[in-house]
Amino acid sequence: MECKFVPSVCSYCGTGCGVIFQVLDGKLVGTLPMKTHPVNEGKLCIKGWNLHEYVNSFLRLKYPLVKTFGRFIKVRWDEALQITADRFKEIIETHGPDSVGVLVSAKITNEENYLAQKFTRAVIGTNNVDHCARL
Amino acid sequence: MKNKIKEWLKSGQIDIFLGYKTLQGHPLPHAFGKDNLEDIDTLITGSNYYPLEKIATKLVAEKPDIKIGMITQDHSQRALNVLYIWNQLDPENIKPLKGDGCSSNLKEHADDSHREAGKSGQFKKQFGMNTHASIEEAEIFAQQERFQRWMYEFQKCIKCYGCRNICPVCFCKQCSLEHSNLIGTGSLPPEAPIYHLVRAVHMAGRCIDCGLCEEACPADIPLRLLYRKVNAIVTELFDYETGSRLDQSPFSIIGESITLKLKPIAAA
Repeated sequence: MECKFVPSVCSYCGTGCGVIFQVLDGKLVGTLPMKTHPVNEGKLCIKGWNLHEYVNSFLRLKYPLVKTFGRFIKVRWDEALQITADRFKEIIETHGPDSVGVLVSAKITNEENYLAQKFTRAVIGTNNVDHCARL
Repeated sequence: MKNKIKEWLKSGQIDIFLGYKTLQGHPLPHAFGKDNLEDIDTLITGSNYYPLEKIATKLVAEKPDIKIGMITQDHSQRALNVLYIWNQLDPENIKPLKGDGCSSNLKEHADDSHREAGKSGQFKKQFGMNTHASIEEAEIFAQQERFQRWMYEFQKCIKCYGCRNICPVCFCKQCSLEHSNLIGTGSLPPEAPIYHLVRAVHMAGRCIDCGLCEEACPADIPLRLLYRKVNAIVTELFDYETGSRLDQSPFSIIGESITLKLKPIAAA
């Protein structure tokens, strides 16, 4: 039996708590807080404690899906990005850039949040950008 | 010590050894296997304690015949005893190897102090419960004040279930803390004090005073003190010191006569 402990960082929010994943025969079975991690010092919230459950969830999306004629079709990443870009272009050309809004969250890093607002302002050309933490 | 483990693994006395190893600068739990015996030279002992016993119960649940060796401290030996008593682990399949000591009321202070809780601040001392208080110190306050102080602590709870998740002697498949008929769901903080008291009652005859729950609590609730009190009552009533011996827990023995009045369960 293969039993491994893998140090990682919680992916739920931007805090970045240290976690240890317990892996049994290649399957994630448990999460423990990392005691020596400077961010969480051995503590976790309920989301962090249950990280292994969403990794193994059957509801988890593992590849991009494009909705065509009411059905989700599995596509490659480059195709998905191309389709998204084309549709956005179309919407912006017909209805103007202010018809698009971008909502970001703490689930991505600070730097990615910065990139998202830059993308919204410089590429799409609208100020419609907000963060879910601004309640 | 390392040679001993190598010998155990080589001779097949154990299939896996649970210890600690430094990985990415952090001392983490690690499972040493027989395929890579040199790996054992990286074994470290000392300051950190993760619930290896709980990990062992998880392993046994997956593979019942697995023989596990593990590094133990005083409290882990008590945890193992409790798990033997409750049939979660088979003493035949577990080979403990004594590591460092630990501090607990059940045993005189040993050679480490790293697991002592952090100092309680002024506000906590004034309105809550001092984490370092002994049972006697906590009982100085009159009943009403004591209750208020505990309620202050309980209302900080963020319901992370960390105390239960990290507890080496918590193994139930269904947990009362998640039972909607016992404890109301969907509120934060959870229903105080019932949430904490349900757990405290379940810790009677189970808690081995390892302090992991208190260490894992993001709200700094002095859980260890609470469970110490519960177990002091168990010791007083049944003369049973949890985890110190391999006696059955008083809560698993059916008495000879019913002392409580029977009454029908009220319809919901």
